[in-house]
Amino acid sequence: MNTVYFEIAARNLLQSKRRTFLLGLALALVTMLLVMLLALSQGLTETMIRSATTLSAGHINVAGFYKANANDAAPMVTNVDAIRKIVEENTPGLDYVVDRHRGWARVVSESSSTQAGLTGIDIRSEPRFGQTIQLALESDYKEGGRAEVVGRLEDLEQPDSVLIFAAQAKRLEVGVGDALTVIIETLNGARNTTDVTVVAVAKDLGMMSNWSMFLPKQTILDMYRLKSDTTGAVMVYLKDIEESEKVMGTLREVFVDRGYVLMDHDPQPFWMKFERVSGEDWLGQKLDLTIWRDEVSFLEFVFTAVNTVSFFLLGILLVIIVVGIMNSMYMSVRERTREVGTIRAIGMPKYGVLGMFMLEAVVLGIVATTVGGLMGAAFSAAIDAWAPPVPVEAVQAILMSDRLHLAVRPGQIITAIVAFSLVTMLASLWPALKAAKMQPVDAIHSAG
Amino acid sequence: MAPIVRIENVVKEYPLGNLVVRALQGVDLSIDRGEFTTIAGPSGSGKTTLLNLIGCVDVPTSGVVEIDGDSTSKLHDKELTRLRLHKIGFIFQSFNLVSVLDLFQNVEFPLLLQGGLTKKERELRVRDMVDKVGLTPQLRQRPNELSGGQRQRVAIARALVTKPKLVLADEPTANLDSVTGLAIIELMREMNAKESTTFIFSTHDPKVMEHASRIVHIVDGRIHSDERTDFLSSPLAETGGRAEAQAAP
Repeated sequence: MNTVYFEIAARNLLQSKRRTFLLGLALALVTMLLVMLLALSQGLTETMIRSATTLSAGHINVAGFYKANANDAAPMVTNVDAIRKIVEENTPGLDYVVDRHRGWARVVSESSSTQAGLTGIDIRSEPRFGQTIQLALESDYKEGGRAEVVGRLEDLEQPDSVLIFAAQAKRLEVGVGDALTVIIETLNGARNTTDVTVVAVAKDLGMMSNWSMFLPKQTILDMYRLKSDTTGAVMVYLKDIEESEKVMGTLREVFVDRGYVLMDHDPQPFWMKFERVSGEDWLGQKLDLTIWRDEVSFLEFVFTAVNTVSFFLLGILLVIIVVGIMNSMYMSVRERTREVGTIRAIGMPKYGVLGMFMLEAVVLGIVATTVGGLMGAAFSAAIDAWAPPVPVEAVQAILMSDRLHLAVRPGQIITAIVAFSLVTMLASLWPALKAAKMQPVDAIHSAG
Repeated sequence: MAPIVRIENVVKEYPLGNLVVRALQGVDLSIDRGEFTTIAGPSGSGKTTLLNLIGCVDVPTSGVVEIDGDSTSKLHDKELTRLRLHKIGFIFQSFNLVSVLDLFQNVEFPLLLQGGLTKKERELRVRDMVDKVGLTPQLRQRPNELSGGQRQRVAIARALVTKPKLVLADEPTANLDSVTGLAIIELMREMNAKESTTFIFSTHDPKVMEHASRIVHIVDGRIHSDERTDFLSSPLAETGGRAEAQAAP
């Protein structure tokens, strides 16, 4: 039976070629747009993950606060080797573990200054960092600069060196080999000043690279006058980032079993917890476990903004499509009133008529949305391969990249196809019900 | 044996603006199984209304319509649909074939709605019926590729393929020329004889009605006369109507 229903649907669509083509085209274009917006959103997510997991967070972070007195809090963990050992022995799906120091400073050049989050890094133990960070051409950050990379990432091994990003280099008007003065406040409230040399300038990694700078671990330890068994955070990288939340739960249990005191999970970056922790009435060390998403939660407004605009746009288009489908289906029902009367008289039940008309919409929906979905995927992939530059800095900040990155996933295409096919089906429901409710006696004798 | 159609004191009224039109005014009629009956009368006399009631596509305002023992007033839409599907075949004045389906599919359609047959069984049944109406060469043609006479023969095949107890034809010859129209009537008559199916058809054409074995005249919503005829003495029977029917377009 289904074959004949399908055949009737397909042939009726082919019979009204122009109507089918226009409606199908509209559906295909909207689906294409949805796939491209989803690809943009996915691209943003991937950029954010890349930025976050390169600049400030592991997939899971074992960090914490140390309170030497009731009114203060230092973002560090002590006895780092023991913590690393526990992590290495108890993390399912572990890829690798690193630890980084954290700090906050005012950074001054000869002509300007900026605030920056400092990260103490051992460049030799982080090969992935070198693969993710790309050095910028000198011409990208220096007026009249050479169109070549100056400086080496490996030089970050040298004491009192610093890696900065292109936007910072422009703002501070410095290049490789120039000196910067780093001013920090130590845990006991004293100011400490250190001169560092820029050894490399990296391409921007979205909004977060505006305030991130990398220095050798020892430089940070020296500036803050910390012991070598302390660190800012032990960063855990998994083979599958999707497992982060689950593995964090496992590690929390392990640390509690081993007698560590843990802070309640608070999905915010460490620097947003300072004020609260400083006001809390405890002393000593507490561990704070987070996942990468927690450390960049303050950037969620970007997704909210992009998604709001996208869905508003799609909403308008959807209304147009729904009206188009309903109108087209009404015309089809009106034109085929006598056919409805005939097949009802022959013995087709009401739900059969309903199904027949809805199937017509579903066939159109599936074909058009599949074409649109594939077109969207192809365009997104082409744009991503081209990686067009984003000229406006404000847009770069929102997109977290100076180039447009779209990431297509099969799930997005399927989502778009299923969503719009469902919309098409639902839009056809009302006209189809109208057809199903026709009295056979009236329908047979209609002039249609 | 109980009649296939029993109509008792049936009244059918239609609202028309502020007026109420009485299309049927107390009709009594009984039709036995295997009869070849025509409902005759001028336009607006109530023929189509009566056929609609017998065909269960409409219900009476008052009175009783019984089809094979089932009173249609007591049945819900679902049951009426099932009754039509299993017991009644329809032939329409304008053929009413599904335009996007070919001849085979149009004839097969009621069998698909009924269910219960395998694809092979359906195909055999359809081919046999199409052969009986003489359209095997046109099996895969669409309605718009067939002549009026051929389309009506498809409609006859579609009406009979489910082996219904009753076939209703509303002015089946009205859109055909006289030769083709008579050929269609002869084909129906032949099917009536072969399959023992009861046929009721409406017409206002005297040449057509004289081929029926029973003529029920209806005027102004009332049965005016009800007469039995001797079809075997009709000119069509004497000249071998079957050969003519198969030769007709």
